[in-house]
Amino acid sequence: MGNFFPRWTNWLPLKLAIAVVFIAFGVSVGVAYYFTPKYTRVGYEPTQPVPFSHKIHAGQLGLDCRYCHSFVENSSHSNVPTNQTCFNCHGPGKGNIRSNSPKLAMVVKANETGSSIPWVKVHKAPDYVYFNHSAHLNRGISCVSCHGKINEMEVVRHDQPQSMGWCLDCHRNPEKNLRPLEFVTNLNYKAGDLTRADFYKGLLDKKIPAGEIAKTIGGEGSKADNLDQLLALAEKTYGKQVTQTEVGTQIKKHWQIQPPENCTACHR
Amino acid sequence: MKRIWKHPEEPQNAKRYWRSVAELDRREDFLKNLGREFPEGDTLTEDERENSRREFLKIMGASVGMMGLASCRRPLTNILPYTQHVEWMVPGKSLLYATTMPRSSGATPLVVTTHEGRPTHVSGNPLHPLGGGIDTFAQASVLDLYDPERSQKPLGAGKELSWAKANELIAAAVAQAKKSSGGSLGIVAGATTSPTYLRLLGELKTAYPQVKLFQYEAVGGEGQTAANKEVFGAGVKPFVKLGSAMRILSLDCDFLGVDPVAGEPISAFTKHRAKEAKTADMNRLYVLENRYTLTGGMADHRKPIPASLIPVAAALIASELGDASAKALADTAPAGLKEWIAPAVRDLIDNKGKAVVLAGSRYGAEVHALVASINNALGAFGSTIELLQGTQAPEMGGFAELHAAVSGGQIKTLVSLTPSSLYHDAPDAQAFAKLITEKGVKLIHVGMLKNKTARHAALHIPAAHYLESWGDASAADGTYSIVQPMIAPLYDGASKIEVLLALLGRKKLGPVEAAAPAAPAAAGAAPAAPAEDAAYTAVRDTFASVAGSLDEKKWNFTLRDGFLKGSSFAKASAAPNVAAVAGIVAKAKPAAAPTDDSLEVVLTVDSSVYDGRYTNNAWLQEAPDPVTKLTWDNAAWIGSVTFRRLGLKDGQHVKISVDGVEIEIPAIEAPGHVSNSITLPLGYGQKGVGVVGSGRGVDAYVLRKQPGMFVLSGAKVEVLPTVAELAITQDQNTTEGRAVFREGTLDTFNKDEHFAQKIGMDGHIPENISFYKGQVGVKSKENPDGFDYAKHHQWGMTIDLSKCIGCTACIVACQSENNIPVVGKDQVRKGRVMQWIRMDRYFAVPKWGKNEVAQESTYAVDNPTPEQLENAEMVHQPMACQQCEAAPCETVCPVNATVHTDDGLNAMAYNRCIGTRYCANNCPYTARRFNWFDYNKRNPLIETKVAGITMNNLYAGPLGEKKEDESLRLQRNPNVTVRMRGVIEKCTYCVQRIESAKILQKQVQRDSKNFRVPTDTIKTACQQSCPADAIVFGDLADKKSAVVKSKASPRDYQVLKYIGTRPRTSYLARLRNPNPKMPGAENIAVWSKNQF
Repeated sequence: MGNFFPRWTNWLPLKLAIAVVFIAFGVSVGVAYYFTPKYTRVGYEPTQPVPFSHKIHAGQLGLDCRYCHSFVENSSHSNVPTNQTCFNCHGPGKGNIRSNSPKLAMVVKANETGSSIPWVKVHKAPDYVYFNHSAHLNRGISCVSCHGKINEMEVVRHDQPQSMGWCLDCHRNPEKNLRPLEFVTNLNYKAGDLTRADFYKGLLDKKIPAGEIAKTIGGEGSKADNLDQLLALAEKTYGKQVTQTEVGTQIKKHWQIQPPENCTACHR
Repeated sequence: MKRIWKHPEEPQNAKRYWRSVAELDRREDFLKNLGREFPEGDTLTEDERENSRREFLKIMGASVGMMGLASCRRPLTNILPYTQHVEWMVPGKSLLYATTMPRSSGATPLVVTTHEGRPTHVSGNPLHPLGGGIDTFAQASVLDLYDPERSQKPLGAGKELSWAKANELIAAAVAQAKKSSGGSLGIVAGATTSPTYLRLLGELKTAYPQVKLFQYEAVGGEGQTAANKEVFGAGVKPFVKLGSAMRILSLDCDFLGVDPVAGEPISAFTKHRAKEAKTADMNRLYVLENRYTLTGGMADHRKPIPASLIPVAAALIASELGDASAKALADTAPAGLKEWIAPAVRDLIDNKGKAVVLAGSRYGAEVHALVASINNALGAFGSTIELLQGTQAPEMGGFAELHAAVSGGQIKTLVSLTPSSLYHDAPDAQAFAKLITEKGVKLIHVGMLKNKTARHAALHIPAAHYLESWGDASAADGTYSIVQPMIAPLYDGASKIEVLLALLGRKKLGPVEAAAPAAPAAAGAAPAAPAEDAAYTAVRDTFASVAGSLDEKKWNFTLRDGFLKGSSFAKASAAPNVAAVAGIVAKAKPAAAPTDDSLEVVLTVDSSVYDGRYTNNAWLQEAPDPVTKLTWDNAAWIGSVTFRRLGLKDGQHVKISVDGVEIEIPAIEAPGHVSNSITLPLGYGQKGVGVVGSGRGVDAYVLRKQPGMFVLSGAKVEVLPTVAELAITQDQNTTEGRAVFREGTLDTFNKDEHFAQKIGMDGHIPENISFYKGQVGVKSKENPDGFDYAKHHQWGMTIDLSKCIGCTACIVACQSENNIPVVGKDQVRKGRVMQWIRMDRYFAVPKWGKNEVAQESTYAVDNPTPEQLENAEMVHQPMACQQCEAAPCETVCPVNATVHTDDGLNAMAYNRCIGTRYCANNCPYTARRFNWFDYNKRNPLIETKVAGITMNNLYAGPLGEKKEDESLRLQRNPNVTVRMRGVIEKCTYCVQRIESAKILQKQVQRDSKNFRVPTDTIKTACQQSCPADAIVFGDLADKKSAVVKSKASPRDYQVLKYIGTRPRTSYLARLRNPNPKMPGAENIAVWSKNQF
């Protein structure tokens, strides 16, 4: 009986197996990267019907986010402003700023006809996800944590993956993103810019015992009776500059931040 | 080793609660599905399975191919903000408005939840003096607003007209009326308590002095009105103080169900049903009726008697109390009745000043006159009945006068404002419709449905829903309650007030003419105020006269609260004129009891469609009848004795003939129904009203020839061979006959208030026998319950079976709040009803006494006799997900789609569910529902034609119509996921409300740490709707909460406690208060003869 198969075929199964492993690995990696929100969502930057520039308004002019998104602290939904809000500055007879600019033509027209401006949605949670803006903003999570530096965007871009895993990352370790409430809409905020004395004084003013704050800084053994001792302890632990971990841990502990990890928190 | 769980044997000689006669008889069709969570028929045969597998693979192959193409693009979605800001509107937040549902029986005060201007859910107004829970009809009324088949355009003899043409026709009618100073104009109003409506009717009378006013309600209480007028005087309204009445005797008055009395809300009655301490007092209810009603189910003593004998029973009570005029009638009483009535009356007398007797509103004047005399003798007036001086309504004729006026030929234009449908439900409707055509009367009909009257009227005007229009109503105590619109009329409908204004020439009907385009908000000036709405002005005028002046502040408070504080009627000055009773009673003809050859037919109001006006409401159609558990149809209720004598099967057609009129209708065996009597629910059998209501059931109105006739005698029954396919839910989702219901008498309670906790095995369960290990509920020393009570809320619920009346308002409330789809009759038959909370109804017959069974007897052979079935007791038990701490469903889910939350909820992540249905099979409470089809997107009520074959739309698959109705979508609660095909769903304790309350607390507290929601601020939808206050929900970790107090009740017990699921919902055992002197008292609510 002759050899039907040439000799090289002896290794074929193994080669094939190895190839399959590589291909499978490649596909997995590909799917994990290209088919997940990190790739599919981040960077989405649709053209909006009105060339509104967040960079100018929120960045250069320093308008607070809440001037336009006025209900973001009260509602699940961050509202898109009405024409009236635009016209407070651009409206003829009001601020009258560039009221004849062709860029505003659609807003003027919408005001006349009463039909809405069809803004294109950038961030879209699936229907079965119930995200609530107010729950985050009132508890020390800034706009920037989920939306990126909108104040530097000419056109709004999808900045973060906003996938379930990404949400849970923060729900498990919220201290990475917590900040004092007055800085929630300050997109340029860095923990390092805080004055340590002010931060700890703020906590003490809330009637949180210095001993408790000290324990949060340095563990069970740490003690402090007043602000000075706290500052010394903090400097010893975190260094000269205030760090995000320092701020986040204190806030998490003393505001009782317990981000829910239950299904019902987001799925109802 | 596999452990096979055996449920404990039920003690011998224990009372058994059963749902249907089929269960009692252990019929094969019942047993077949007993152990199945999903009945047979859902599964396919081997062949079908193979075929469908191939089909599936084929389709899958194609879909995979197309998937690549479809998923490339991100769908573009837009955000459309308001151009002008809307006052109070915060996108994403609900906005509540107080309003009132104006009804024939009075005002139902409501709070309506709106989302971005869409009303989505209604609940009772707790601020209103008569507020609280609401009934099924009010709860479901929001769906009527969005009914896609609502009348939307004016019709002229069935053809669509423009509004301009409709206005022309009205103007012509008005011009004609003016010529005869109204002589040619007739107006048929429904029963109303709206002051503006009545005032405008009065103004119409002033403008056209000859105008003829009539009042017509298909199921109105003409007899009651007539008797009240004579005995109490014109405009005097008796107000029943249910909360003060400790002894109530009802003569077929379903005051807890579809025949409400003007008086305090049901919760005032149920308040005295619950008892937590031995010292508390409990009321007692006696009921005489022919069929089971909700009131009968709540009764401590109930005797089924033919409805024809109710006048006799009234006379008997009156003569027991010394009313000589009743003697003659009382003497005709059959044997046995007096033995029952005498001790009851004795009890009433012993409680003089705390007793009241109520009679069904549709009985004749003599019954109501007698009841007035009885109540007078019992000292009820001033104590349990308050006589209030209502507003004087203009003089209106009844149906008889209407008929006379039409046949007399005086009327040329007849305006029908009544919510009843004259051509369908009037006495001898067909002849009346013919008469109207013959006499050339132009009928102008105003209504929300395209029913028979609408389609045949000379002019039909679509009515506005009460959520779309201005109006008002007086509550039973006269409190001026406002009806305010919260959405512009979807289809330009006109309210009845607007139609009256049109007849007075003050308003044009139809769409508001488009206002001139608003000037560009150049100057930023406030937009020009819209032209004042005529109805709004009319209501404000009425308000001014009620409040004394048009005080803007008061008006705004009224709008906010929904009513004007302190505007109730004054007490009437005159005492009841009891002398008039004799005259009325003398006119009464004694009725004979029905016999085997000459049966009686009792026409009743239906719990789903009322008199037929709610026929196109799918929630109501699918809400099971509280007594028969029948959905989507009506049927003849026949008592066991008669049913078996006729040799009927459930659903078998019978031909009922009364005075030469015949109807064919399916019959069902109704335990607790008196023999030789047939109950026919009205309102069904309408055609052309829409896919929901068309062709459902059988029209029973045709049997009625005279106005005010609801008890017909001399009926003959013929058994037909055909059997109807009825959708009855009573044998679905059973707990396999396990003892889940517990009750006792006051006596039992006084002997041992913890009796309920000792029934069955509960007294002997060892600690921690849990078979299922909870997922988060791991017990430890610091954490004895397995849940962290310090760190999280812990939600729990109690349902008081002593208070629950079984009305099913909770079912509809849940449906409205949680976007639960309607599945249609066909699917209900297959056991696929989606309602998250179900109302289990059980009957029970004691097993001892005359028919005492031997110890060795089994379930199958101790069937009660038909006579015993006639006296069966009826109880209700609402059942939804029990939120078990150690939940059997969670351990079997392969994908963790149902898991526990830290606050003790059994969460359900729909997007994770893959539909194995293991959880539903493992749920001992059968509380989980499966979406067999995409019920939300594919209308289950319509038929589709595929390749020439007509089939239900659901079964047409991709070829069927897949479209969610735009208007029904508006009703959806945006805070609850709309579930799709292939996922399990169930009660979540309204988790969306819990989460929003928790978030609101965070908004308020911000950087402080008090995250606990204030005590008792969250109410679940079922709790909010419950008119009996039977449901308590709250935080078990909050010691001040109502639910903690409720769980501390000695009556608290857990259903199927012995399986160790540790349910968070517990029940409070039902208490009954039998009078030991009554016949048969020893058997009432006794769970077992040798109880412990």
